[in-house]
Amino acid sequence: MLEIKNINKSFYRKEALRDVSFRVNEGEVFGLLGPNGAGKSTLIRIINRIIEQDSGSIRIKGDLMTENDLRKIGYLPEERGLYRSMTVENHALFLARLKGLSKKDASTKINYWFDKFEMNDWRKKRIEELSKGMAQKIQFVCAVLHEPSILILDEPFSGFDPVNVELIKQTLLEFKLAGKTIILSTHNMKSVEEICDRAALINNSELIASGSISELREAKKNGIYAVRFKGNMISFVNALWTGFEIIDKDVLGDDRFEVRVKMRNDSSFEDLLKVLIGEVKIEAAWEVLPSMQDVFIDLVQPVKILDDEK
Amino acid sequence: MRNSLLIAAREWKERISSRSFILFSFIGPISVLAITFLLFTYGGESKSNWKVVIADPEGLLDDKIMANEDNSIQYSFVNSYVEIEEFRDAKMYQKFDALLEVNGKVLSNKTAYVFYREKPSVDMQTKIQYHYERRLEEIMVDEFTDLSLIDFRKIKQPLNVSFRDVYDPEDTSSDLRGWVGFFFGIVIFIFIFLFGMTILRSVTREKSNRIVEVLLASVKPRELLVGKLIGIGLAAILQFLIWILIIGIGLYLMRELIFPDMLDAANLSAQQLAIEGGGLIQENLNNASGSNQFIELVYERIQFGNMITFFILFFIAGYFFYGALFAALGSTMGSESDGQQFVIPLIVVLFLSLYAGYYSLYFPENGLSQLFHYLPFTSPVVVMVKLSQGYDLGHAYEIYVSLIVLMLSAILMLLLASRLYKNGILQFGHRLRLKHLLKWLKKS
Repeated sequence: MLEIKNINKSFYRKEALRDVSFRVNEGEVFGLLGPNGAGKSTLIRIINRIIEQDSGSIRIKGDLMTENDLRKIGYLPEERGLYRSMTVENHALFLARLKGLSKKDASTKINYWFDKFEMNDWRKKRIEELSKGMAQKIQFVCAVLHEPSILILDEPFSGFDPVNVELIKQTLLEFKLAGKTIILSTHNMKSVEEICDRAALINNSELIASGSISELREAKKNGIYAVRFKGNMISFVNALWTGFEIIDKDVLGDDRFEVRVKMRNDSSFEDLLKVLIGEVKIEAAWEVLPSMQDVFIDLVQPVKILDDEK
Repeated sequence: MRNSLLIAAREWKERISSRSFILFSFIGPISVLAITFLLFTYGGESKSNWKVVIADPEGLLDDKIMANEDNSIQYSFVNSYVEIEEFRDAKMYQKFDALLEVNGKVLSNKTAYVFYREKPSVDMQTKIQYHYERRLEEIMVDEFTDLSLIDFRKIKQPLNVSFRDVYDPEDTSSDLRGWVGFFFGIVIFIFIFLFGMTILRSVTREKSNRIVEVLLASVKPRELLVGKLIGIGLAAILQFLIWILIIGIGLYLMRELIFPDMLDAANLSAQQLAIEGGGLIQENLNNASGSNQFIELVYERIQFGNMITFFILFFIAGYFFYGALFAALGSTMGSESDGQQFVIPLIVVLFLSLYAGYYSLYFPENGLSQLFHYLPFTSPVVVMVKLSQGYDLGHAYEIYVSLIVLMLSAILMLLLASRLYKNGILQFGHRLRLKHLLKWLKKS
């Protein structure tokens, strides 16, 4: 659907993006991850044609992106603003019309979204009268009013209370089911795990990883397994002996425990199960994949350390 | 273009619904009307009827002063000395506005004193001087010559040298009309300045509250810039039209209701008087009858149609020229408060245009005035002055040349400004320096 190819961008002497390429498939939620200042916002601005890349191309469904394609994109920037003196309804109408909707279409869409997000009471209110959360909701609605096929959201959950975060998540999942492509730039790794299918990680202007969420987590797994059992903890420890290392444990009560174990030497999951069978009653055992938070830190941190050493 | 119009419509609505717009739309023209009213009422004379006591201890004037009495001055004679303090404080003199002291030596030293309570208008001063001088002439002719009074006055007639422009021998233009042009120039200046600052504020506000990023995902920077200029410019024109309407109705009502007979020749007593007199006094009287001249000027001599047409044309071109500059500057600022130092030179340039208008008023044919007339920074004000003074025969094309130069400059400025705007609008948090401007200007 959206193909980013060899994008380079420098601001005078400072390199903002170096040869960044990845692909976003139709109907998927794609996470664009990276620490602050990595170049995500620059890339998003390039996709939105707000700034121009120095080299590289962006294709939509195989064709080079043009000015007209902007109408297919809904964009919610991280640092977003509204005209404070406009009324909610007029503001939404104005932005929808800039995206090419007729007045009538825009009004119909506004009615639908204002109903859905329970915003009808604020229609005639000026933006300056609203709370931050309300304004965030309006910004989200303005980004999706023209029914874009690609949605680019930069930190869409910031400023929302948990109820509204859930509302936005559900809406994004509905979009996904409707076949829309969503690019999500966020620092909230939990939501990446929850709703993203694939992700790319940019650090220091470069793409350092990309793939499906499970692939990314898989790639960073470090031989940790979890075992839930019933029995004596001492018997469990004795059984492990030298081939394994206990990382931590949770006491579940009723002589039941959940323990995370790291493999040592060449020990395998099967070895672990063999030594435990007969010593404790195993209820469940599984491989523990790192969270996206861990993946993120693991990918970004080494580079930082190297930087510090320089 | 559709996007620019949408942006323009939004800006227009925001401007015309703002409190400051509504206030300025009414307070502005009402102030102009109030000043006009004051000029009409008090511009000529501070007090129209004067009582003057003439202290003539030697009876030099023989209790006579003017053959044809002037209704506006009532003379009384006292054949004794009147001390200034006495005149000032004594009850019997309180009804008099001035004391004219007749000194026996006046025939030789030609010096006289008039003591007043409230300063008389130039018109009144001229009248008193004229009456006194005429009476003295009669006495002098009688005492020192064998001539008849008529012959004496023929001889005495001073030489009246009138300086005329070779291209305008009829003297159709006048300084006063030039001032009217300057007034129009000031209005252009005020409008460009006020709405230029509005553009600047609007751009920096969009930038600081980051709505600009949402907008730029839908419209090109140039569309945004042009839309903004059009929207705010239309609001300015609407405001100007409100001004014209209110001032027009006000002037009409003033003529019909408040000053119905001011244009009536019978009331031009000062001028009537002047017809009888001659020479310098006549000139003085003509000048002194300022209020009448002003009314005549406003109602009969200004070609409002021409002035307003060119005003609007030059305002639009000048507005785009300066507006683009203001917008470019706003877009390059790092924060709303930053870059004020770059606004100051722009304001200085705007003030230069005012000075240029003033300069052209006094030195219309000067080479520098010619330069100011074509220079896009100053031409909107200078052309107004020149237009009201009148172009020389066969030189009317100059105004079109100036207009074309201004329009082309405005287009060039728009191109340069949109480059600065495009490169500067998404730069935040920096301290604006000249090198930024140069860098952004170079970058395509």
